[in-house]
Amino acid sequence: MRSHSQRLTAVLAGVAVLALAGCSSAQSGESDQTTLKVVYLIEGDASPLDAVMQQAKAEYEEANPEVTVDLQPLKSSADDYFTKLALMNRSEATAPDVIYEDSFQVKSDAAAGYLAPLDDRLAAWEDWGQFVDAAKAAGEGVDGNIYAVSLGTDTQGLWYNKDVFEAAGIPLPFEPESWDDLLDAAEKIKANVPDVYPWEIYAGIQLAEAGTMRGFQTFLSGTDDSLFNEETGKWVVNSQGFEDTLELISTVYGEGYSPEASIALDPALTQTVWGTWLPEGKVGMVVDGSWLPSGWADTGATPFPEWTEKIGWAAIPTQDGGGAGTTSMSGGWTVAMGSKTKHPDEAFDFITTLLSEQNALKFAVEGTQIAVRDDVAAEPDYTGANPTVPFFTDQVDVTHFRPATPDYPQISQQIAIATEAVVNGTSPADAAKAYDQAVIGIVGEDNTESGR
Amino acid sequence: MVIEERTRPVERVIPPESPAPQVRDRVASPSRRVDAVIVNTVLVLVAAVFLLPMVWLVLSAFDPAATLVLHLPEGLSIGNFRDVLNVDQTFRPLWNSALLSFGTGILTLAVGVLAAYPLSRYQSRFNKPFLYTVIFGTCLPITAIMVPVYALFVSLNLVDSTIGTILFLSASSLPIAIWMAKNFMDSIPVSLEEAAWVDGASAFRTLRVIVLPLMKPGLAVVFLYTFIGAWGNFFVPFVLLLDPAKQPAAVAIYSFFGQHGSVDYGPLAAFSLVYSLPVIVLYIAVQRLMGGSGALAGAIKG
Amino acid sequence: MTTTLPSASGAAAVRQPRTRVRSLIRAIPLAPAIILMLVFLLGPIVWALYGSLTNTALSGPNAANPQFVGLDNYRQLFTSPTFPLSVVLTLIFVVASAVVGQNGLGLGAALLLRRASKPVRLIVGLVFVGAWVLPEVVAAFAAYAFFHNTGTLNALLAGIGITGPNWLYTYPMVAVILANIWRGSTFSMLVYSAALNEIPDEIKESASIDGAGGFAMFRLITLPMIRRAMAANLLLTTLLTMSVFALIYIMTAGGPGFDSTTLPLLAYQEAFKFSRVGYGTTVAVVLLAIGAVFSVIYVRLLKPEVDI
Repeated sequence: MRSHSQRLTAVLAGVAVLALAGCSSAQSGESDQTTLKVVYLIEGDASPLDAVMQQAKAEYEEANPEVTVDLQPLKSSADDYFTKLALMNRSEATAPDVIYEDSFQVKSDAAAGYLAPLDDRLAAWEDWGQFVDAAKAAGEGVDGNIYAVSLGTDTQGLWYNKDVFEAAGIPLPFEPESWDDLLDAAEKIKANVPDVYPWEIYAGIQLAEAGTMRGFQTFLSGTDDSLFNEETGKWVVNSQGFEDTLELISTVYGEGYSPEASIALDPALTQTVWGTWLPEGKVGMVVDGSWLPSGWADTGATPFPEWTEKIGWAAIPTQDGGGAGTTSMSGGWTVAMGSKTKHPDEAFDFITTLLSEQNALKFAVEGTQIAVRDDVAAEPDYTGANPTVPFFTDQVDVTHFRPATPDYPQISQQIAIATEAVVNGTSPADAAKAYDQAVIGIVGEDNTESGR
Repeated sequence: MVIEERTRPVERVIPPESPAPQVRDRVASPSRRVDAVIVNTVLVLVAAVFLLPMVWLVLSAFDPAATLVLHLPEGLSIGNFRDVLNVDQTFRPLWNSALLSFGTGILTLAVGVLAAYPLSRYQSRFNKPFLYTVIFGTCLPITAIMVPVYALFVSLNLVDSTIGTILFLSASSLPIAIWMAKNFMDSIPVSLEEAAWVDGASAFRTLRVIVLPLMKPGLAVVFLYTFIGAWGNFFVPFVLLLDPAKQPAAVAIYSFFGQHGSVDYGPLAAFSLVYSLPVIVLYIAVQRLMGGSGALAGAIKG
Repeated sequence: MTTTLPSASGAAAVRQPRTRVRSLIRAIPLAPAIILMLVFLLGPIVWALYGSLTNTALSGPNAANPQFVGLDNYRQLFTSPTFPLSVVLTLIFVVASAVVGQNGLGLGAALLLRRASKPVRLIVGLVFVGAWVLPEVVAAFAAYAFFHNTGTLNALLAGIGITGPNWLYTYPMVAVILANIWRGSTFSMLVYSAALNEIPDEIKESASIDGAGGFAMFRLITLPMIRRAMAANLLLTTLLTMSVFALIYIMTAGGPGFDSTTLPLLAYQEAFKFSRVGYGTTVAVVLLAIGAVFSVIYVRLLKPEVDI
């Protein structure tokens, strides 16, 4: 009778050998067949991105029979996706050839050396001229090279409930030209329509990017100041625009246009606002993204078939109507090439296939994206996808992108801390000062410059 | 440091599994009955409180229009279940979860019990420090070491391997498993084995023939605990597995969280119920298997 | 490693070579466990410890060129405004939910269950086990929906005329502590049930004949006899609770503000949200240190009873 430990050791050894053998044999099988590893994110289960990836894979493999496209979708939240992607990129053995990259991560990942510069290849690509300038900027690294190409984007606008506005006596369509117009409208709603939050602004630490991007930067971009000076590469502190924006938020919360702190700072608030409050007329207006209609569709999380009649949309005004008059913020995803790829030509070919006019159109329509190609933007299938599309596409002309340098996540949290402080009653001047101090602590005084 | 070394655990007259005469059976006085009523009531109340959080889960699973707010569904339907019960979303991830969890449970149990034996039976000045070091590692959140673990796995060529993930899950479950196994083992008197040793039986033989059978409830607890931990573990398989077809249910649950913070509560609740069911079934099965005697049943059936 | 058989006596010098070989053979069953833990745990932990002295990042320039920064991370951590709060929150969470909550409820339930009637025992036992086996993500969600401002708890309170507070906003720590007690008490209950089962009835009988009433019986007989199990369970539940992450993260995301950001959440935020892996492991090292302190306290306090 053999002893347990002998048997067990044998089993363990066998298991270890099998594991190693199994894995290495999977690797060696590729020697005569080029394989492209494409990694992307699937959020939720129905994925227009997956559909367009499958389409691109089929097209590409047909045109290039000696290459296999290995699609590796990751089903997770965006945050976990970034983590997994970074881990994969750190090791050459697992680094993908083609990467679906959040525009917000491009600068950081490029600085980490994960992405390959594409400038020359793009210049030689005939379709590159179709891409709008804003989209080209989305894929830029800190060094000015282009590391990623936009697959689609989103813009922000002012969504409002028409019933609420009518009941408040505000003429429709609502076309505010300054922050004062917005405040006036909110005041009217407050006076005339009970049980409604006139103007929701996302703020606070738990609402993270939703707050700092949609709640703060959409308004800051309407002032003369910005968060970050692209030309000098320095973060702006002591900025009037920053304080003014905090002042706006302070007023909105102080006057009761937005809910009290305990409701406003709920991390799940965004879905409540666009899924329940806006359709039911519990909120007057809110700055939110161009993707909202997908949530109201029959297949969305909160179907709302009457939205085209009940909901209006307007451009976000700048602080006093100056500059371009309106402003917006954009995010969106891009496609990049892994720097460690062994097949750069094939990888780039696949990228161009993925971003062809046909596929970009398909993704824009099915994924409720805003087109980044002029030809796609002109297609009737695209403009007719839902009534808001032409409007949000126009916003691309005035849109801004977040200064997503490697330090941005920490600084974004500081913005959130500032807005939360203001919601809780701290004066905008004090909150702005605290922000300035924190930013200096994060990036060092040499990397900051004064805004006034 | 002088270590109090005991040659054997506390000897008890009654082995753990034989039924002990219950004092309460003897006298059925009125005060005892009132006692029983109070005890029963308190317990039922506590159980009711424990059930409350699950109410929303169950209601939402059958509610076609489920939200975060607790409300009675307008019409009960199994629509959410129909949406969710397909190969891609549910069955394959559950299968992967089963693979990972059974693999981890069995491996951890085997390795852990083996390791617990010398710690329990043989005295050494290294026993205590070893155990304490090992158990003290459990306060480290696994998220803290996933970056080097990933790099390690890449160098060992174990990334995207179910077996590799099982090995890691086992390694991280071992500290608790060894601790628990040793504690259960300690309560079995060495005297039972000593007789066999005198007769020339090897330690492994006595382990297999004498100790393990007496330890069955303890083995069940260790296996269940490890299984439950692996069943619910998200981060480890998420990091170590690449192929989406290998991901377990703990990872697949995130398919109900859409873009921009939207959550599909109904299907999420339905999936959660389906996801939790196998573990409950397993618990009942293991209990039956263990013959319902000893520590596990002692808590539940008495 | 030297071991001695229970019956060994004298002539140790003569037996040295044989004893040493026997010791090694006796240690063999430990080998698979040691190998697994060395390779998969110790290695990465050592790397993480070293990593806390660097500015390694998952993205950005520090990913390409991590630098050794010595104790800079520690300095930054100890002077950061959120750190002291995080430590205090972690201690509160551990003491309240593990030491007091899970052990208290577990022991209480174990005591009561022994005297309950059979059907009650069955049903209550099943409910307890149900709460225990729920996967962490599911349990976290159920707890989130329960404590949410518009959730089950407030709905029930409204039913009896009380307007409940916004638990997750106003009392986030209370909510997560209760949720953790809900999730973890069953394990303690099982441990204490087993321990209580081992108390010989003869002792209890003779004590009761001697006139010991309920509480005296508990204090003088029951408690001392389960001391070993209690010490072991306290240590275990404390250490396990220190690393709880998903439950709190899903319920409150560490908020509002940082009001429920315990150390594991802080480590996660730094390492993964901000990509600062080196700094994140610094937080983890602090967590380990606190765990070590707890371990030492338990061992010192309960040493005579803890029998290893």
